Amino acid sequence: MPTHDKVNILMVDDQPAKLLSYEAILGELGDNLIKASSGREALEVLLKTDVAVVLMDVSMPEMDGFEMAEIIRQHPRFQKTAIIFISGVHLTDLDRLKGYERGAVDYISVPVVPAVLRAKVSVFAELHRKTRQLEILNRELEERVNERTEELRENEALFRMLSNSIPQLAWMANADGTVFWYNQRWYEYTGSTPEEAQADAWQKVHHPEHVDRVLKSIQHSWHTGEPWEDTCPLRGHDGRYRWFLSRSVPMHDSHGKIVRWFGTSTDISDQIAAEQKIRQLNTDLKQRIIELETIMQVLPVGVAVAQDPQCHVVSGNAALSEMLGMNRNDNLTLTPATPTRMPFGVYKNGALLPLESFPLQQAARTGLRVGNSELEVRRDDGKAMQILMTANPFFDEDGSVRGAVGALFDVTERKQMEDTLRERADLLDLASEAVMVRDSSGILQFWNVGAETLYGWKRDEVIGKNVHEILQTAYPVTSREIDSRLISTGRWDGNLIQYTKDGREITVASRQAIKDGTTNEGGSILEINRDISSQLQAEDALRKTERLAAMGRVAGIIAHEINNPLEAITNAFFLLRDHPSLDDEARHYARMAEEELLRVAHITRQTLSFYRESTQAVEVSIATVIEDVLELQTRRLKLNNIVVEKDYYSDGAILGFPAELKQVFLNLIGNAVQAMPEGGRLKVRVIESTSPNDRRKGVRVSILDNGTGIRPDDAKRLFEPFFTTKSAKGTGLGLWISKGIVQKYDGNIRCRSLRVNGGYATCFSVFLPGTAAAKSADKGKAQEAIGSR
Amino acid sequence: MAQDKSIILCVDDEQNSLALRKLVLEKSGYEVVTAASVNEALEKFSPDKYDLVLSDILMPGRPGTDLAREIKTKHPDFPVILLSGVNELPPDASYADAFISKVEGPIRMCEKIAAVLGGYRESLGTSQI
Repeated sequence: MPTHDKVNILMVDDQPAKLLSYEAILGELGDNLIKASSGREALEVLLKTDVAVVLMDVSMPEMDGFEMAEIIRQHPRFQKTAIIFISGVHLTDLDRLKGYERGAVDYISVPVVPAVLRAKVSVFAELHRKTRQLEILNRELEERVNERTEELRENEALFRMLSNSIPQLAWMANADGTVFWYNQRWYEYTGSTPEEAQADAWQKVHHPEHVDRVLKSIQHSWHTGEPWEDTCPLRGHDGRYRWFLSRSVPMHDSHGKIVRWFGTSTDISDQIAAEQKIRQLNTDLKQRIIELETIMQVLPVGVAVAQDPQCHVVSGNAALSEMLGMNRNDNLTLTPATPTRMPFGVYKNGALLPLESFPLQQAARTGLRVGNSELEVRRDDGKAMQILMTANPFFDEDGSVRGAVGALFDVTERKQMEDTLRERADLLDLASEAVMVRDSSGILQFWNVGAETLYGWKRDEVIGKNVHEILQTAYPVTSREIDSRLISTGRWDGNLIQYTKDGREITVASRQAIKDGTTNEGGSILEINRDISSQLQAEDALRKTERLAAMGRVAGIIAHEINNPLEAITNAFFLLRDHPSLDDEARHYARMAEEELLRVAHITRQTLSFYRESTQAVEVSIATVIEDVLELQTRRLKLNNIVVEKDYYSDGAILGFPAELKQVFLNLIGNAVQAMPEGGRLKVRVIESTSPNDRRKGVRVSILDNGTGIRPDDAKRLFEPFFTTKSAKGTGLGLWISKGIVQKYDGNIRCRSLRVNGGYATCFSVFLPGTAAAKSADKGKAQEAIGSR
Repeated sequence: MAQDKSIILCVDDEQNSLALRKLVLEKSGYEVVTAASVNEALEKFSPDKYDLVLSDILMPGRPGTDLAREIKTKHPDFPVILLSGVNELPPDASYADAFISKVEGPIRMCEKIAAVLGGYRESLGTSQI
C-alpha cells in the first residue's frame, strides 16, 4: 500500500472498455481513479474535485480532446493541471503541436503500453502531490505571517498609547536617524501638528546655540550605535525654552542589527531651576558663613563653638586663640578623654575650675544658658587675664542640644580699673576726708560718710544747720574774708581748727570751692576737709621728742655732774653741822647752807627720780596711788578752798612701780591745785579704756580743774623741760618728768584747756596701757565685790 | 663694841667724795676701808674681811656694776649697794641689793645700808640657829 497521499486521476473516454483497461493498468498506483465518459462529464468532475492528472482520449464524439483541453486551460484553476492524451490514430506533428498548444503535456500512442502509461501517469501524480504539499506549506506559512503581523500591530498600538500617556516627549527614528514618529506630548509641547512634522522637525525646536552640538553628538551616536544623552533647552509652543534631558537608545532585531532609535526628552527645567536655587542658596550660605567667619575672626571677643554636646570638637576664633595663648588652628577641644594639657588654666574665685564646669561645656551638657561668668585665665606663659564669659546652647530641629557657643570678653582692663577705683575709694575712706556742701550762709546741704566719721555728727543731725556752729570752726582769717576770696577766685585752701561732736579739737586741711555759679547768693560751697591733727601732732611730737631727748641727755649729764659734788657738800655740811668746834652762829650758817642744799637736791632729785626703788614691777592700783597723793595734799586743798570730785570707775590696776606713778600724779594734781589759787573744783576720774591710737586696753586718768587755764602758746611747750608758768614757784621739770614716766609705760599724756562759761577748764589726761589691768580683771572684780570704795 | 662694827668697803674715784662719805659712815658707826677703783676694790676684797661693799657706778676704768656682778657671781650672799648720781638705772644694777641716789642725803644712805645689813644679819642669824 502506498503511504503517500492519494491524488485524483481523471480518465476520460467514450468507450467504457478502454476506461476499464486504463483502470486496471493504473490501479497499482493506489490513487483515486475517476472515470468520465464525455468531455462534459469530465468538466463536472474537474470543478468538483482537485485532479492531479487528466488522461484523455483525443477522439471522442461530441467534444474531442483538444477542444476539451482548451476549455480546461481557460479556467485559471486548471492551467497547471497535467493532461495526457491517448490517440489511436497516428498523430501528425502538427496535431501534436496543436495538443501542446491546448495544454497537453504528454501523448501516449495506441496501442497503449501499460507500463509506459503507468509510468507517465505516476510522474504527473507525484508532481501534483508535491505541488499540493508545497501549496499547503505556503498556506500555513502565510497564516503564521498574518498572525505575527496582527500581534505586532497590537503591540505598537499599545506602545504608542503608552508613549502618548507619558509626560516626556518621545520619538522614534529609523536606523539612519530619520524621525518617523513623535508622541502626542511632543506635539502638545512644540505646538506643531503631525502634518507639519518633518524628519528634521526636532532640530527646529532645539535652542539655536545648542543645535549644532546636539546634532553632532546624536550623529555620533547613530554612527556608533551607542546610546545618546544630552541636555538642551527646547522651544515650547509659547516660544519659551525649557530645559530637557534627552536620551536615545537603539532597538535591535534578532540579528543585533539596529532597526530603530527610541528617544525621550524629559523636562528638567524645574529640576534645573531647583538645582540652581539650591546652588544659589548654597552660595549664599557659603558667603554668609564666610562673612560670619570673617566677623568671628576679626571680632575682639573670644568665640568658642562646640559642635557636639560632649564638646569633642571645639573651634575658636583668633581672639580666643590669642586670649588662651594658643596657635590659630590648634584644636581647642577639652574633654576628659583628651588628656592633652592645654597651655592655660581657668580659675573661678581663685580656685581651678574643673573641665565640666567650664561655661561652654556646661551649656552644651545641660542645654541651659550660662550667664555672665567671671573667670580668670592663667596662662603657662605667666599672663593672666580676667574673662567675662557667657555660653548658649544651640539645638537641632528635634530640640536636642547640638552644641554650644561661648563668648569670652577680656575684662582685665576693666577689672583693673575697677580695682583701681575701688582702691581709690578705699583710700578716700581711709583718708577720712569729710566732704560737705553748704550754702553761702553756711547751711549744710550735704554731709558724707567721711564727714560723719571725722566729726562724729550723723548726716541727719547736721543737714539744714549752720556748719560754723556745728564745728565751732576757728578761722585763721575771718570767715568773711574766706567767702570774699571764694567769690573772687572760686576757691580757698587753708587749715582750720574745728571740734568734733565729742569735743575733740582737730586741725583740718580745708579746700573750699564754689560749686555752681559765682554769684553772691545761691552759690553752693563745696568743702573738703582732711583731718591733719594726728599728722600735726606727730610732727609736733617728733620735734618735741627730739628736743626732749637732747634736753634729757644734757640734763642727765648736768645732773650727774652736780650730784657728785652735791653729795660731797651735803656730806660735808652733815659732818659740819654738829661739829663741836662750831659756835652757834657758825652752826646757823651751816644749817642755812644745808637747807639751801636741800633745794638743790630737790631739783636734782626731780630730774634723777627716774630710778626705780624696786627692780620688779608690781601690781599697782592707780586709784590707790591717787588717793595717797590726795592724802598728802589734804592740807593745801583745804587751804585753797578746793572741792575734790572723785569718779573711780575702776581700780585702775596695772603692773608698774608705785613711786614713779605717784610722782606723775603728784605733779598733775600739784599743778591743778596751784592753778586754783582762789579755790575751785578738782575732778579726778579713773576709768578702764582703750588707746585711741592702737586700741590697746588700759587705764585712763583725767584730772580736771577750773583754774586759770593754759594759754594755747603755753600748751604746746607744756611738756618741755624747764618750762614753767609759775616762775619761781616751779622747777619746770614736773610735767617733763611725768611725761617721761608715762612714756616708759608706753602710755601717753595730753592736755587740753578750754574756755567755758567765762572761765577755763583744763584737763590732763593720762593713758596707761595695762596688761595687768586685763590680767587682773578678775582680781579687780573680786575687790569690787569686797567693796573697796 | 669694836668687834661688832660692820666693815664697809667703800669705792669711789673722787677723793673728796670718798673721804667725806667715809667720815659720814664712820660717824654712823661703821668701819670703812676705801678703794679708788673697781680693780683696787677687787684686790682688797674678801668676803671674810668685809660686811658690805658700797660702790659708786660711774668711775674711770670699770663701772661699779662690774664690781657688783663679780662679787655677786662668786658670793651671792654678800651684800653690795650701788650709789650713783646718774638719772638712769644701769641695766645690770640688778646685781646689787640696793641702789642709792647721791641726792638722797647722808641720813637716807645710812638707813638703807642698815636695812640691807639688817636683812642679811637676820637671815644669817636664823640659818646659824
